[in-house]
Amino acid sequence: MIKLEHVTKTYKGSVVALSDATVEIAKGEFVFLVGASGSGKSTFIRLLNREESPDGGVIYVAGKDINDLSSWKVPFLRRNIGCVFQDFKLLTTKTVFENVAFALEVIGRPRNVVQTQVPAILELVGLGDKAGNFPNELSGGEQQRVSIARAFVNRPLILLADEPTGNLDPATSVGIMRLLDRINKTGTTVVMCTHDRGIVDTMRRRVIELDRGAIVRDQARGVYE
Amino acid sequence: MQLKLDYAIRETGANLSRNVTITIASVLTVAVSLALVGASLMLGAAVRNATARWQGGIEFVVFLNPDATQQQIDSVGRDLQDSPEVEKTTFVDQKAAYDEFKQLFADSPEMVDAVSPEILPPSYRVVPLNKDLEVVQSLGKQFEGKPGVRDVVFASDTIRAIQDFTGSITKIIIVVAVILLGAALLLVLNTIRMAMFARRREIEVMKLVGATNSFIRGPFVLEGLVQGIVGALVAIGVLWAFKPVFEGWLPKAQDFPLVAGFTVGTGELALIFAGLGVVGCLVGAIGAAIAVTRFLDV
Repeated sequence: MIKLEHVTKTYKGSVVALSDATVEIAKGEFVFLVGASGSGKSTFIRLLNREESPDGGVIYVAGKDINDLSSWKVPFLRRNIGCVFQDFKLLTTKTVFENVAFALEVIGRPRNVVQTQVPAILELVGLGDKAGNFPNELSGGEQQRVSIARAFVNRPLILLADEPTGNLDPATSVGIMRLLDRINKTGTTVVMCTHDRGIVDTMRRRVIELDRGAIVRDQARGVYE
Repeated sequence: MQLKLDYAIRETGANLSRNVTITIASVLTVAVSLALVGASLMLGAAVRNATARWQGGIEFVVFLNPDATQQQIDSVGRDLQDSPEVEKTTFVDQKAAYDEFKQLFADSPEMVDAVSPEILPPSYRVVPLNKDLEVVQSLGKQFEGKPGVRDVVFASDTIRAIQDFTGSITKIIIVVAVILLGAALLLVLNTIRMAMFARRREIEVMKLVGATNSFIRGPFVLEGLVQGIVGALVAIGVLWAFKPVFEGWLPKAQDFPLVAGFTVGTGELALIFAGLGVVGCLVGAIGAAIAVTRFLDV
């Protein structure tokens, strides 16, 4: 599903974000990316989404070399990839329903699809009764659920999560992880950056550790360190 | 598709109302510059109509009697062509004279109805080699007494002065208008940049979930287009409302020995207005296009 071959990314000057990274992630896998701040986790995710392009190496997503993709095709790549962030990135002027519906509307999904898909996904993330609320009326955990609903409503092949529990307390984080696990069980590949030792150690999934841009550990059913 | 159009219109409306003051500023700048362009084009058209007979270096016209025989007509024509001082001469027969008359008085059908081709004089329009007033005068006078000739009319200094004056005035107005159009374009660009800034979160999410570039850009380009079109409509409205006033400032037919007064025909006006509409759209669309390509990298 995802394959990196000798991928290198250096930011302006000499900041090495990723150096000679080679890794393959199969369809349906659940992968934790761990490592200190600045070790290249976020860059890894941004490269998969083509928010960034590598300086060297090849990246395959769903069998396609995504650096070969002409820029007008990038949106269609992103329709197969859901993204969840630490800061949720919800639109504060829109209700929960509208936030999720927005993701379908802007890719041209017809109204009847929006009307059936959005309530279904809100039900799935456990927010069926909050559809009419605005994001600032919700707790952090609920906001993250909305953002997961938005990322997953289009049924992407891959879900990228950049520290989705970074702003949440441990109990709430467990709820979010259960949700991501459920999404993973539907066959969606999940790649998640995290600093949360507890989560990694409890879930025992594949762990890829980055250190100053290099992959230093790749362990099935791994632990945080 | 239905949803897309709904969406684009809704977003455009929201953008326009969010920055009302700056939107008004750019619309008014477009309007003022286009009104100036339109006014100078109307002035040019009015002068051209009033002095239609005197274009292309024609210095005098030999009018023949409406009932002049073909022989008389040919003889005058031969004399003109044989004269070494004549560069070019054009014969305007009664039918052509009538067509011109109809065109010049298109706005007053009662005048056209009162005239028929048979009562209009055919004429020779003469471009002399030497444009000196005295040379032209003496050349023209030679034809005054000839059989079949009714009258010889000279382009007066006044006509030349009017043509020169309006020529240079038009140039100045056009330069000012082009500068204003540039300012209008920058204002449109900035309005749209502000609209994009106000919506940067939405734009970020749209990119994230895979909205196409054209979908993201659509409402902003539409916004620029609307500003350009509204500006053009305002300019057209102003010019239309001021047309009678504008024509009142200019001399009347009877003030000058001219065939027609300073009027702008409906056809010409339609053409000028259509042109203003096109330029308005272009200014809006180009301003928006620059804004979205420069500040909306995907």
